[in-house]
Amino acid sequence: MTPPDDASLPALDLRLTEENLDDLYEHAPCGYCTCLPDGTLVKLNQTLLGWLGYRRDELVARRCLQQLLTVGGRLHYETHCAPLLLLQGQVREMSYLLRRRDGSTLPVLLSAALVREPDGTPLAVRVSLFDITERRKYEQELLRAKVQAEEQREQLARANEQLRAKNEQLTRINADLDSFVYTASHDLKQPINNMVGLFEELRRSVTFHDAEAGPMMSMFEDALAQILATIDGLTQVVQLQRAMEQVPAEPVALLPFTEDIIRSLQPAPAGTRFELDFAAAPVLRIARPGLHSLLYNLLSNALKYAAPDRPPRVRVSTARTAHATVLSVQDNGRGIDLTRHHRELFQLFRRFHPEVAGTGMGLYLVNRLARQAGGRVEVDSAVDAGTTFRIFLPQEEAGDSTPDARPLAAPPGPLSEKERGSQATR
Amino acid sequence: MTALTRNNVSVTGTGEVALVFIHGFGCDQRMWRLVAPAFEDRYRVVLLDLVGAGGSEVGAYDPARYAALQAHADDVLAVVRALALPRVVLVGHSVSAMIAVLAAIAAPAGIVERLVLVAPSPRYLNDAGYVGGFERVDIEELLEAMDANYLGWSGAMAPVIMGHPEQPALAQELTDSFCRTDPAIARHFARVTFLGDNRGDLPRLHTPTLILQSAHDVIAPLPVGQYLHRQLPGSELVVLDTSGHCPHLSAPAPTIAAIDHFLGAAPRP
Repeated sequence: MTPPDDASLPALDLRLTEENLDDLYEHAPCGYCTCLPDGTLVKLNQTLLGWLGYRRDELVARRCLQQLLTVGGRLHYETHCAPLLLLQGQVREMSYLLRRRDGSTLPVLLSAALVREPDGTPLAVRVSLFDITERRKYEQELLRAKVQAEEQREQLARANEQLRAKNEQLTRINADLDSFVYTASHDLKQPINNMVGLFEELRRSVTFHDAEAGPMMSMFEDALAQILATIDGLTQVVQLQRAMEQVPAEPVALLPFTEDIIRSLQPAPAGTRFELDFAAAPVLRIARPGLHSLLYNLLSNALKYAAPDRPPRVRVSTARTAHATVLSVQDNGRGIDLTRHHRELFQLFRRFHPEVAGTGMGLYLVNRLARQAGGRVEVDSAVDAGTTFRIFLPQEEAGDSTPDARPLAAPPGPLSEKERGSQATR
Repeated sequence: MTALTRNNVSVTGTGEVALVFIHGFGCDQRMWRLVAPAFEDRYRVVLLDLVGAGGSEVGAYDPARYAALQAHADDVLAVVRALALPRVVLVGHSVSAMIAVLAAIAAPAGIVERLVLVAPSPRYLNDAGYVGGFERVDIEELLEAMDANYLGWSGAMAPVIMGHPEQPALAQELTDSFCRTDPAIARHFARVTFLGDNRGDLPRLHTPTLILQSAHDVIAPLPVGQYLHRQLPGSELVVLDTSGHCPHLSAPAPTIAAIDHFLGAAPRP
């Protein structure tokens, strides 16, 4: 394109350059009005009157600019525009709705400038208004989208909260399952060990004439080994878990708790008598699995190392001293030569009755659990008369859990040790 | 964060008594530009921005805390404490007239000597037997108008609010953005302002009070000023011959004269 040169100018329609200023004001493609500083309308152009549907004489000196806005817009004008005009002398691009004579609205952008007298007194406000009907629709879409996005964000936050609650619930269920597996594997182990022993015995003493018997015996043995391995595996998994999260102390009613353990023991010899007396301290605040393991080991030991010539008598009781609650397990069994074994009593793999099967884990575990509960174990024993184990647990503050009692979870040490320990041997 | 930075407090002037000016909804302490300097020769002049407005620490705006005007009143008293002002006159405009009332009620005895309420209203919504001037739907319209005027705000204005007034370009922007604030805060403050009702607090006020009423104010119309005058026994009502909601801007000289007269009439202990 070639730029217009001087020669081309005369070709323009000169009427354009003689634009009538009044006509331009009246019919400009935007609304104009002039107001007094308080907003009273003194002059409006035809474009604005056409938008509004008012006659000039209905507005001039009778209405103010604010009254042409919706009530909300008017509030905004009074609190935002009016002070800005007086302080800064102008406002730009304020978005309002004009209220037409017929009640309908017209979205406009308002810009205004304050005209002052020479002494600075505000004289008039010049206002120009632009019809933004189409742009307003688009802006409202944007606003709607923004509101929607905010709602979705809130929904997301709610969903997150639900997930968190669900997660907490699952964690709890997981812990419960852990406890179940722990207890189940713990309690299964003893009878299965018995089955192993019985089976050995059976194989030695019984002769089968069936040709199939040999392979069946091996299969049975394999199955037993598999059960033991599975239980070991289960226990190890659970205890790994436990090592990471401590089991909280909780009130444990000793009588039903101990009765349950007694029921889970291998069948006691004929004439066995248990005596339970928890009157002094019927409830202990302690981690349940730890207490279970501790009592299980002591009680099964009491039966296992019973004197061969008399029926076992086992007394389980509690007592209180000034600073401790004492849980005692007393038997009338073979007894331990403490002068000889005193130092190694609680050591791992130490055994004092080689004539009875065992792995040397039980007392090690008992001692360890007691220490983790912040307590200690004392032993009295006389050979061929009986043994008394006393577990001293720190006295808890009234209605409060002792911090010392909390760590009575499964020991964090080598896990297989503890599991084998639950075979209750010494 | 101290009360003085939180509320962007500025102190000028000298005198035994401090005038604490509290701006209204929609603006900040610059609203007092035509009035406050006139008192600097006889009073300490304390200007502040309500939290959420102007140069206040916008991050301190916790919607739960500022759901009631009392929180702003507590802020004002914290400023009075921080400056260790022994004798105070609170001058509150618009919604801050009620903030000043609440502050005067909660202040330790003897600290707040007088109140000047500029274009006050204890309740903007009409109620049984009470004409506040507005219906709830009008307030929703106001919120819409605010939303419509905040399009594009976040992107353009955020750096200013983050506070770099030392940068000239941003300072210019700040001037242009005068009386703008974070849209979420503005919406919230608009609701707290226009949907609130502090009529029940009026009987608890026993501080000598001047009501400065604009003759033609659509936001706090004359009947509302007269209602307040009746509810506050011993209060003075001065109707200024001006229009609009900001007599301290549209009629600064009469506003100054009325405050001067009121304070001059005060018995000096």
